[in-house]
Amino acid sequence: MELLLKRKIKKVKKGDQDAFADIVEYHKDKLYQLCYRMLGNREEAQDAAQEAFIRAYVNIHSYDSSKKFSTWLYRIATNLCIDKIRKKKPDYYLDAEVAGTEGLNMYSQIAADQALPEDELERGELQDLIQSEILKLPEKYRTVIVLKYIDELSLKEISEILELPIGTVKTRIHRGREALRNRLRHL
Amino acid sequence: MKCSSSYVNLIHEYLDGDLTKENEQLLKQHLQECDACQEHFKQLKRTIAFVQSTSHIDTPMNFTANIMAGLPKEKSAVRMNR
Repeated sequence: MELLLKRKIKKVKKGDQDAFADIVEYHKDKLYQLCYRMLGNREEAQDAAQEAFIRAYVNIHSYDSSKKFSTWLYRIATNLCIDKIRKKKPDYYLDAEVAGTEGLNMYSQIAADQALPEDELERGELQDLIQSEILKLPEKYRTVIVLKYIDELSLKEISEILELPIGTVKTRIHRGREALRNRLRHL
Repeated sequence: MKCSSSYVNLIHEYLDGDLTKENEQLLKQHLQECDACQEHFKQLKRTIAFVQSTSHIDTPMNFTANIMAGLPKEKSAVRMNR
């Protein structure tokens, strides 16, 4: 598959648009999933994913073909999502960063102590609850958690996508997991 | 009783698949003796399972077609060479 993609990208670089449709088809599900879990609604996810592909197309000449195409594409999409999150960030007081936590806010430290009655936790509601807790994570933790557990990428790939040392990625995953644990442990 | 945070770090290393055999043994032994860390470990594993259980969202219809329609026009020379 990698080889086939490389050939398609070569064609796109030469100006062949049809070849790009195959590249979109191949990556669209994972990219849309990433945007949806980062942004939390379908329309915004669609806008972000489409914009990411269009940016990739327009900037295809700056893609270094010795590297994995998906890493480059994920980087574009991740940056786009982070921009969108920052733009719509509400400034309620629980959102204030806790000193020394590199971006963890009060909210992520409060345990969800009102456990919901078991019969209310229909599958759909549980899914909504988990998604809303993912969305409450500060964006830097949300990004690594989504890349690791929803897009199922390796730590090495995540570090390449975010252009961060692997140690930083690990620290963020650890903190993201702890924040989610605090919120979901009563379920 | 609260344990030293070094065991929590070992738990996270274990979850990342980074733990050395030696430390894995150390952690295993500690988890057998310490209820608090055992509970912490279980909660983290459940949290991960919850996150992984979120269902796949279908990509919208016509996704690719919409993108293709939104691309800048290609040069006519390419079209002719095809």
